[in-house]
Order: sequence, then C-alpha cells, then structure tokens
Amino acid sequence: MENAMQFGIAGIGGYLPLLRLDRGPAAKELAWSGLGLARSGYRTVADWDEDPLTMALEASRSLAGDPPQALRFVSTSAYFTDRAQSATLLEALALPPMVRSADHANSRRAGTTALLDALLAGSTEVIAAAEKRETQVGSAAHFAYGDGAAALRTGPDAAARLVGHACLTSDFIDRYTSREHPSPYPYEERFVRDTAVQQLLIPAIRAACAAAGIEPAAIAHAACAEPVGNSWKAAARALKCAAPNHCELLADAAGDLGAAHPLFGFGLALAAAQPGDRVLLLGFGSGCDALIFEVSRAVPGAAEMATLLGQGETIRQFTRFLSLTGAIGLDWGMRAEFEQKAQASVLARTGRDMIGFIGGRDSTGNVQFPKSAIPVNPVLDGPEVLEDVRLADKEATIVSITADRLNFSPDPPFDFGLVQFDNGARVLMEMVNRPAGGFKVGDRLRMRLRIKSSNARLGFRTYFWKAAPLLRPRLGEE
Amino acid sequence: MASGIKDKVAIIGMGCTRFGERWDVGADGLMVEAFAEALADAGIERASIEAAWVGNALDDINVGNSALPAAHALRLQQVPVTRVENMCATGTEALRGAAYAVASGAVDFALAIGVEKLKDTGYGGLPLRTKGVQNDLWMPYGSAPGTFAQLAGAYAARHGIAAADLKRAMAHVSWKSHQNGAHSPKAHLRSAVDMDKILAAPMIADPLGIFDCCGVSDGAACAILTTPEIARSMGRANPVTIKAVQLSASNGWEMQFGEWDGASVPNTRAAAARAYAEAGIRDPRAEIDMTEVHDCFSITELVIMEDLGLSDEGRAPADILDGRYDKDGAIPCQLDGGLKCFGHPVGASGLRMAYEVYNQLQDRAGERQRGKVDLGLTHNLGGSPFNSVAAVAILGRLD
Repeated sequence: MENAMQFGIAGIGGYLPLLRLDRGPAAKELAWSGLGLARSGYRTVADWDEDPLTMALEASRSLAGDPPQALRFVSTSAYFTDRAQSATLLEALALPPMVRSADHANSRRAGTTALLDALLAGSTEVIAAAEKRETQVGSAAHFAYGDGAAALRTGPDAAARLVGHACLTSDFIDRYTSREHPSPYPYEERFVRDTAVQQLLIPAIRAACAAAGIEPAAIAHAACAEPVGNSWKAAARALKCAAPNHCELLADAAGDLGAAHPLFGFGLALAAAQPGDRVLLLGFGSGCDALIFEVSRAVPGAAEMATLLGQGETIRQFTRFLSLTGAIGLDWGMRAEFEQKAQASVLARTGRDMIGFIGGRDSTGNVQFPKSAIPVNPVLDGPEVLEDVRLADKEATIVSITADRLNFSPDPPFDFGLVQFDNGARVLMEMVNRPAGGFKVGDRLRMRLRIKSSNARLGFRTYFWKAAPLLRPRLGEE
Repeated sequence: MASGIKDKVAIIGMGCTRFGERWDVGADGLMVEAFAEALADAGIERASIEAAWVGNALDDINVGNSALPAAHALRLQQVPVTRVENMCATGTEALRGAAYAVASGAVDFALAIGVEKLKDTGYGGLPLRTKGVQNDLWMPYGSAPGTFAQLAGAYAARHGIAAADLKRAMAHVSWKSHQNGAHSPKAHLRSAVDMDKILAAPMIADPLGIFDCCGVSDGAACAILTTPEIARSMGRANPVTIKAVQLSASNGWEMQFGEWDGASVPNTRAAAARAYAEAGIRDPRAEIDMTEVHDCFSITELVIMEDLGLSDEGRAPADILDGRYDKDGAIPCQLDGGLKCFGHPVGASGLRMAYEVYNQLQDRAGERQRGKVDLGLTHNLGGSPFNSVAAVAILGRLD
C-alpha cells in the first residue's frame, strides 16, 4: 500500500463518438410496441468504422507520449478473441515493442481492476477501456448503452492519489452476455438493485473508506458504475453520502459505456473535484472494486472529458441508428459486394507504418506516406532510407474532396480526397465526421483511427487513419 | 534524338461495334463484329495479320486475361498476341503497341483491338476488390466519379470560379455530347437532353450529377495498321497515318508530393506536349480540326481543354459556354457523342475515338461529318486525376 500511495492518476482521457441518439424522439418510434424504453438524454452511437480498438486509441493517445511500462486494453466487446487488441493498440500509439501489454475482458469491472493492479504495483501504465456492445432493438440496453472509451495513465507525482480501496468478488449476475447470447440478458431490476446495493456496493464502499481512514460522508464526488438505475442513490442514502454520481450523469448524457463507464465517470468526477476532495471510483461486475482517491490538483485531461458530453451531432433518422447499431441490415445491393482479404505477411512488413500512420522523411526534409525505396520528391533520383515521421498527430488541409454517393459506404456518402500535411506529406484519405455543410477545399483536419476494411466472411478487420474536422459542433446546435 | 512515329504507320482498316447494353452478344462476338468490319475496310484476309495487341481493362470480371480470349475469338493462327491494360487508356495502349510493331519493321500488318463486356457483371464504375494487398491497407477506394469530381472543387479554388458557374459549363459539356450522340448510329445513348434536366439531375459525387457522368458499355473497336508504303501499294493514295501517339503515367507525384493543386491532369499536359512535338504541331488551336477526348465526366472534358492547350488557363468554362467545342464550334469535341453518349467499354474507348477521327479524315462520318478534317486528336485517360495514365494520339493524312 505504501508503494501505491506514492502513485496515482497522472492523466486521464476520454472519447465519445460524434453521433448521438436523442432518446425521446427515438422512444416515440417504438411507442406502438408498449416497451418501456428510456426517454431522457442521449446515447452515443459509434460510426460504422469505429470499434473498441479505435475508440481506445482516441481515449489514450494523449496519455502515451512517453512510453509507459505497460499498456492495457479493456473491453467486453473487443472484436478479436485471439488477437490481442493491446498489441494493435500499442502499434497504433507507436509505442516501443518492449512495453508490456495485456487485454482485460469478461467484466465491466475489468477497467477498475486493471487500474488498481497498476496502482498497487506502482507501475506506470496506460489503461484504455472501450466498448461498442451489441444490443437487441427493443431492449432497454439498446437505448441505455452508449459507445465510448476512457483511459488513464498511472504514474508518480500524481494529481490524484489512491488512499484506500476494497474489492469484493462475487458471481452475482445482474446481466450477462455469452457466445450464444451476445446481447445482454438482464435479470429482474429490483432483485439486482436490492442485492447489489446491500451485498456489494455498501460493504465495498465502507471497506474502502475505512482503508482510507474516512467516513463515506467525506466523499465529495463519486463515479459509481451502477448495475441498474438508482443503485447509487440507495447506497448513498444508507452511507449518508451526498456526493453526486458522475456515472449517472454520464449514463444520461452518453449512455452506459460498460467497462469504460466507471473510468469515464471518474474523469467527470475529477473535473468537478477541488483540491483536497475525496473521489470514489467504483467498478461493478461480478463483484465490485471501490477505490478512494484524494485530489491534490487538476488532473490533466479531466476538464477536456467534461466538454465531450456537450459536443456531438444528433441522428435525425431512427433507421440510421438501427443500421449503425446493427439492429437492421439493409440490402445495399451489388455495390456492397466488395471484399478484401488482408495478408498477414503484408501486415508484418508494413502494418506498423500503417496503423501508426508513420511516413518517411527524405534527405531534403520532405515527408511522404507511404514510404518508398526511391522517394517521391522529384529532386531525388535514387534509393535512400527514410526517417520515421508519425502523421497521426499532425493537422492537415484538404486539397481536393468529394462526397461520393455511388461508392458503397455503410453510412453514406463516402467522403474522400487529397489531404496535405504541413510537413509535405500528401495522402489520399477518407474523411469522417462530415460537417453539416460538407467538406470543402482548404478545410483543416485532424487524424482519427478507424476501421479501414472489414471482411465479415473471414471475420477480420484492418485499421487505418481517416481525417476529421478539427472541431465538433455543440450538441443541439449542429 | 528519336525521330518519332510520325507517318511511319498507316491505318488501313477500322471497325467498331454498336456500343451499349449488348445482351445479345459476348466479348468474343463483340471482337468478331469489330474485326470483320476492319478486315472488310482494309481489304485484307485474316491470315495477313502478323501480330495483335488486345486491350481489355477489367479482364478478371469479363473478358478474361492474357492473349487467349482474342486469339480464340478471332481464330488468329499462332500469331503473337499481346494483351495490354492501362485502365481507361487501354485502347490507345493497344494502338501504340501495334503501331510500334509496324514502325519498327517487325511486321507488315498489325491489329489493335480493344474490348470490354461489362454489362454481364453489374460493374458500374465502382472500385474492384483490391488494388494490391499493400495499398488495401491505406488507400481509400472511391468510385470513378468520386475521383474525378475532385477536379471540380480544386479547379474552382484555383480559378476563383463560382460553383454554380462551373456547374453550368459542365452541364454544357454533357448537353453538347447528347446533341452529338443523337446522330451516332452506334452510340449507346442517342437522345438529346435539355440543360435544365442536366442541372437538376441527382447527385452522384459532388458536384457531379448523373448527367455529368458517362456510364459503362459493352463494345469493341479495332484498327489494322501497316506501313504507308504498303498502304499506297494497296491503292490508298493518301492513307490515314499516325502523326503521334504518346503516353504519360503518374509516378506518385500528384498523390504524394505537395505541389499539385488538383485542378489539372499533369499527365495529359505531358503526353500532349510530346504528341505535338512528335507530330510537328506548333499551334494546336489552329492546326487541330477536331478532338475526341476522355470525357468520362463533364469536369474532365473541361479540364482537358486546358490541359491540351486548346483553352487558356481558367478560360475553359467560358469557351465551352461560347460553343467553341460544339459540333459547329472552332474545334469540335466528341462529334460522335464521346464516352458520355457513344459509350465507354473501357478497353475499347481509345480505339473508338480513333475510329471517329479516322472516318472524319476520310469524309466518311455521314451526317456527323465536320467538313474537311486534316488533323484529329484523341485523348484517353486512365485512373484518376491524382494517379493517371494519359494517352494522346494524333491522326492525319500522309500528304
């Protein structure tokens, strides 16, 4: 514990997709069914080309400038089951291969567990949790869940220190998913709330507070992932704790983010906390982890996470939401008969440059992507070895652009064009997060990791970078 | 210094099928149809063909790869047949190969034939499965209109032209080709379309509406080449000859190096400059009587007019709207309807262009005949504006 006390949260980051479902109008679309669906707030909706890996990258990219000792990828909805996403994430972040890595899965609590392990080990780590979970249309989860990611960096000289913790492990099943039931199966709500609050939340929080030497009433802010709504209110009433639960605010504004939910809520709690405040982080799933932190100053990245909630674009068509969440499958016709097969040997040879978006600088200083034996620069006429230059974190400008409505895209139109980086690199790129008026020549762009190709028949994805506008619209004003 | 190909090769026979949705015939039948017309035109026997170049761009989804589909279809008896592919510039590439064979003295009679049978495949200008396993990892595969649409925004940005003004000039390009196509018996689309309909058409790739785009077709076209001396010995006193055939391919500069502004096609300029030099043309605006250019999209033809030096920089929209390239304009373009209306069986298009010029040079174009034509230019463009193969050929009479 002594070692962990010297460690804490060095930084935090989050990512939410641009698109939002306004639950109220959406519920009206299903009112005929009589199903009791949430009507307030928004849920985030991932683009067709976003998945837990791409969102984990976005959440963690600001935390991985200096290589950590370990990189951990956390998700209950990871695409691959025998291909470590932490390894792909490591290459996407252009981290050295000697950085340890691991995937954590099978519980919404996996993120807080990984964080606690890092803190107890005194290990400087980046822990990135992300979810894009399959849900059945008509289920409460279809409206309640959201897509998104959160990441933390542990390290010395922390802005928020761990001062106490407690873990309870229990095979308590509030809901589950399985290979044969990939969408969540929830059990009766009152049973879950009563049991979870009395047998898991309250004992774990009391124990964590005892370890920290404080009463629960001393908790100023909470990030408590709830198994069902109002769990925190019930626990807090019993604990005489008046702290707001930022996970509840997050669930209303963006949806339940699964394994990323307590970590994203923690970012919101840290953004609201004042120096000296105690903050509770509670991860729930097959038991719970309760962690008490003491905040000494603003945690880097927390304020930015709070701003993410108010940025986005509302989906106007309910069927688009259904399509993006896989609830309906449109027949896109012959245009969609487009299948690519990625080759492992090519990925082994060039994959790091691709997913890391690493170009090469020639002997004149010009940068190009991809690299080539003979540089593209016309003043050079022979082979040379190019120096690595990462383009993922550079801004760029549109040279030419179109909104292609003939080409197949699962969420048309297909925006693509030539993109010019300030360092000389020019790349033909796909665009994402189309602004209301479309893209225009001269627009400035930032880079986002996305799925490049998806081969459903072979169950494989490749990833590459796409270009997005620098800024997002404010939600409701888009 | 190379002396070039000017007047070293004569065209003594050409054939071209009706383009369109040829549900009635396969690729082999299309080749036979074009070849039979060319043989009759040339007045030679099939056995005289000593070498052949067959152009087919999308071999894996229609005709099939290698020399064999053409050798089988035409029953060429143990003749060296070479299959060539250079995207939409494939037809001119076949012509170039056959012309070089004759010019070198390797053979007396060579055949260039282009064919595409796309309507059986559902192909509509969309990207194919792969552009190589390495490119697949990063390159976005937009549709053909998607790549060429980008010329419009870049052109407007370079010249400060309003989008609506550019769109109107683009619409005139298509309007003119529909007017001309209506008089081409072998054209795929043979109806005139008014400007309002063109301007109001559904968007395919901003700012290209459906009438700004050519479709794809089934079809074949071919040419039989020999030397001018042999042509004369066969009774052609003043045969059609190749004045120039040039090709330029991107090396990645447009796509990867930060100099090009996307508002022109540098390979067209390079191929045209070399072709003019090869043909001895100093003032193309005064010397070229007609053009058949690669109007895959209206904006492409507009930009080509500047790339070929026929319009001043930034003046193509005004020249187009002034009727400079209409059938009765100073330098008519697409007298046969072009890709837009005659059709675009990809591998055949370059030879279809040559077919129209060949007929115009010999006063054989019927109601489309543009009076006396001494020099005609074909321009055939493969790929995209940022990664292209451009071919320019100039045809005339020997004397």
